[in-house]
Amino acid sequence: MVETLLETHGLRKHFDGTRAVDRISLSLARASIVSLIGPNGAGKTTLFNVVTGFLPPDSGKVFFEGRDVTRMAAFRRARLGIGRTFQEMRLIRRLSALENVWLALPNQSGETVIGALLGRHKREEKRRRAEALRWLKYVGIPETANQLAGELSYGQQKLLSVACCLGLGAKLLLLDEPVAGANPALVDRMLELLERLRREEGKTIVLIEHNMDAVMQISDRVIVMDEGRIIADGTPEEVRESVVVIEAYLS
Amino acid sequence: MNYLCHILTLACIFSVLSISLNLVLGHGGVLTLAHAALFGIGAYSSAILSLHFHCPFLLGWVLSGVICAVIGAVIAYPSLRIHGDTFVVATFSLQVIIFSILNNWHEVTGGPMGIAGIQRPVILGWRVDSAGEFLALAILCVCFAQFLAGRLISSPFGLVLHTIREDEVVAEVAGKNTLRFKVSSFAVSSALAGAAGGFYAHYANYIDPTSFTVMESIFIISIVVIGGAGSLWGPVVGAVVLVSLPELLRFVGMPSSVAANIRQMIYAGALVACMLWRPQGLIGEFSFRRNENS
Repeated sequence: MVETLLETHGLRKHFDGTRAVDRISLSLARASIVSLIGPNGAGKTTLFNVVTGFLPPDSGKVFFEGRDVTRMAAFRRARLGIGRTFQEMRLIRRLSALENVWLALPNQSGETVIGALLGRHKREEKRRRAEALRWLKYVGIPETANQLAGELSYGQQKLLSVACCLGLGAKLLLLDEPVAGANPALVDRMLELLERLRREEGKTIVLIEHNMDAVMQISDRVIVMDEGRIIADGTPEEVRESVVVIEAYLS
Repeated sequence: MNYLCHILTLACIFSVLSISLNLVLGHGGVLTLAHAALFGIGAYSSAILSLHFHCPFLLGWVLSGVICAVIGAVIAYPSLRIHGDTFVVATFSLQVIIFSILNNWHEVTGGPMGIAGIQRPVILGWRVDSAGEFLALAILCVCFAQFLAGRLISSPFGLVLHTIREDEVVAEVAGKNTLRFKVSSFAVSSALAGAAGGFYAHYANYIDPTSFTVMESIFIISIVVIGGAGSLWGPVVGAVVLVSLPELLRFVGMPSSVAANIRQMIYAGALVACMLWRPQGLIGEFSFRRNENS
């Protein structure tokens, strides 16, 4: 089993002359929680977009579990095990919470025209339902199963987004501001969940976060970005003390 | 009685057309202006296979469905790179091009004169002849189309299609090959439109390009929207209402020359009224106004 889950080599992406991502090379191990912090416009979300395949890089490479995925379509990367959530919540509001997770479940035989017409999915239905429910239980919102995603509270939606990644079978979870705007109770719940995922399921989680308390509490490693480059990379304590980082935030 | 059968048969043909368009437009959220062109390709293919290749009706019917499925898939493929408005314009050009081919390729399609003398269908020994028999066959077609569409929509395929409609990124992040879903729904939709065309050709026993213009595409879109896009029975309700409505004008005593033009005004009026006061259509749930869905 490849120990390094994700590797990037010299990733570059620029928009109209601005270097959003400027020669980013990093490597992420399994079963770890990494926080990606930095001022707004540092290129964090752009980096997520390049890694997940929503933006092609200008140069550089991305490797997932040893495989070169640089040119791979976003949906294929998702299937390999890269899951993500978005800053602006992306859920299907008119579907139930259960259906949102169900959607992410892989290898469904009812997803081809022939399979759907022959009704092959009917045999699997009970199993799929149970599987989706299992992930809702894992993140702590089983009671919302039949409620429309659009009617859930903010906190429940945040947890649902993570449940969808789990339904997908993601090994790497890229979470874009998972506790932004959350009350302290939700922050605790989310951090506990992420810690459990690392410990029990061996997931690698990368969070973009601005909540420094959360970052310091949960991370094994903190990467600081500014103007498209990594300016610091180490344990939370190391980064906190780093002069470079303090300057970036103050300037 | 024959007259009533004729109106209902027409309503059935347009039901199949709107059920199939609903797959792409209502459930897929993709607007296409080329549906009448596919209807036409189905009609002409079926007619030519019967008349020139002496193909048995059933085989020719199925073949024309397959031809339309392939063409539908080809139309949908560019949707990988072009979205929304650009895609609508692309389907519009395709509709116009196909009409032009039907209207000008004299050797094969007969040009503006069309194709006449299309035989009555014979299905496994049953020669479909009378108005009543055609209506029976038409109703069977609607049932089949409805069954197909219903099955697709209530399956995981339908779930992904709805997701693509609401937010394609969510579908991609969930690992779905969204192009495949769009192309297959287009292919199924086109096959059904082609089948409606094949039926129409053998029912009317004369076809010409004027039945397959962009105005017909817009008419079918109106049926879907007014009936209720994205619903199960909306397309059928819409077809019955919009096909029979102008016929009611005859009973009001309007001369047919005026009635033909009033028809267009009624359709336009109905569409505008629908968009203003009931965008989800008569029995629909999905509205084309973005802010009503969240």
